[in-house]
Amino acid sequence: MGNYLITVAVNIAVFSLLALSLNIIIGYAGQSMMGHAAFFGIGAYTAAILTNKGVNFWLALLVALVISGTLGAIIGVISLRLRDDFLAITTIGINFVLVAMFQNMKLFGGSLGMAVKPLILFGKRATAIHFLIILLILILLVCMLIRKMNRSWFGLALASLRGDEGAAQSFGVNTSQYKILAFIIGTSIAGLTGGIYAHRMTFIFSSSFAFVVSISILSMVVVGGVGTIRGPLVGAILLGAAPELLRFADDYRMILYGGVIVLMMRFQPQGLLGENSFVMNKIEKYIIPLLKRKGGESNA
Amino acid sequence: MREIVRIEGLKMYFGGLKAIDNLDMSIYEHETLGIIGPNGAGKTTLFNVICGVYKPTDGKIILNGQEVQGSPPYEMARKGIARTFQISKPLYDLTILDNVVAASGIHEYTGIRSFFKKSHTKEVLEKVHDILELVGLSEIEHKKAREVSLGYLRRLEIARALATEPQLLMLDEPCAGLSNFAINEITELVLKLKEQGKTIVLIEHNLPITMKVCDRIIVLNYGQKIAEGTPEKVQNDKKVIEAYLGEEDED
Repeated sequence: MGNYLITVAVNIAVFSLLALSLNIIIGYAGQSMMGHAAFFGIGAYTAAILTNKGVNFWLALLVALVISGTLGAIIGVISLRLRDDFLAITTIGINFVLVAMFQNMKLFGGSLGMAVKPLILFGKRATAIHFLIILLILILLVCMLIRKMNRSWFGLALASLRGDEGAAQSFGVNTSQYKILAFIIGTSIAGLTGGIYAHRMTFIFSSSFAFVVSISILSMVVVGGVGTIRGPLVGAILLGAAPELLRFADDYRMILYGGVIVLMMRFQPQGLLGENSFVMNKIEKYIIPLLKRKGGESNA
Repeated sequence: MREIVRIEGLKMYFGGLKAIDNLDMSIYEHETLGIIGPNGAGKTTLFNVICGVYKPTDGKIILNGQEVQGSPPYEMARKGIARTFQISKPLYDLTILDNVVAASGIHEYTGIRSFFKKSHTKEVLEKVHDILELVGLSEIEHKKAREVSLGYLRRLEIARALATEPQLLMLDEPCAGLSNFAINEITELVLKLKEQGKTIVLIEHNLPITMKVCDRIIVLNYGQKIAEGTPEKVQNDKKVIEAYLGEEDED
């Protein structure tokens, strides 16, 4: 694999993790969140500041996870008072405030950005491929975590919360508690991803965590399919690769991008691979019987 | 008969509006208690106070000798008070089966610990299937709640309430807006539950049904209890007739 491809793959892997974690908040728990990139940034700056002070990389990642999760809990508490569009606007605001802090506070390197001490693995400077492996392992772990969640009472509590809070409470779900937990899990994974991203880039700018980035993450979830595991992964691959594939149309990229989202919302609001979507129906109709038939023949 | 719930001096004011004013009542084990009254009498408000949706302005709700007023709805549910909603609140994107499974997990929603406990175990599914059989939803258990009609959703409400294994089952107008056929089915279901010895509180506008199903009736008007007793006694009560039909003109 060429360096270019690995770089693109790392980028897609980072966004896969961000999309998967955002999906826990919006897809499973049904809460509005439009400032996910802020927590990505909190993780990135936390880990960067710590390793620059000589703290071990893995420990720094753990602290990044804890701090972004703690701040995520605050959004969770806010979500108890605000819902839907008001919560969306609040999270947008928080995103802007945090980016302004990253941009203006000396602690975060100010407007020049912040250099991050490169990661040394086994006595050598870590390369893109090392980061790709770390990220792929993490994606696998997060997917397993979500799968486990979907089969547990926790998953049902989130589904009830998403469906109808009044109903959820009528059968014993403390909706406030589960809202906060969903925000903590989602934002801490974003923070962890940020920590890895910072060390991959070795230089971070506030603009990497801006509102536009939150929107890209949201688009990946929406385009792929809200409330599924495959959705955010496919969304991250499609929209992560799109800027590379659409390089010839660089000036019109945002128009294409915006157009795709509008069309998706109009015709496939459940996402490309969401339940009952066009693609999934076709797969169920043509591909699954085909696989079954093949399986039957080999058995015979 | 054992008293499950005692309500003492219950008041629920919304600003100047006295939705419930100084109400005393009891609910006994194994009885079916009807709560009737004209529109705006405070019936649903009473339900919401008992279920913890509203904190009462004053007064006590005593469940099995314990004061429980002001607890949040999920605590009330865990303590054994289950309710259905007048306007059905299904989890639309889940199947009928999953709706009932979710309700049967009432004591499993313990926060982060619930992450490590599987939901669809054999025992849970067996229990849920029994309930679906009882309410007559077995055939459509794999349909999404959004795909089924209002009559089924009402039964789903009852199934979910039953899945919480309540001490007290509160039904808020289970027949409202249904066809005669569906009303008969729900009535039969309530009679079946009654036979099983469930304690039921029923709000219902349809008086013939209330008279048929209930052992005892409480009549509310403007947030106050104006009559209480057997269906026959209540039917002939002068105050009740006045509340429903208006006072006789004095010449």
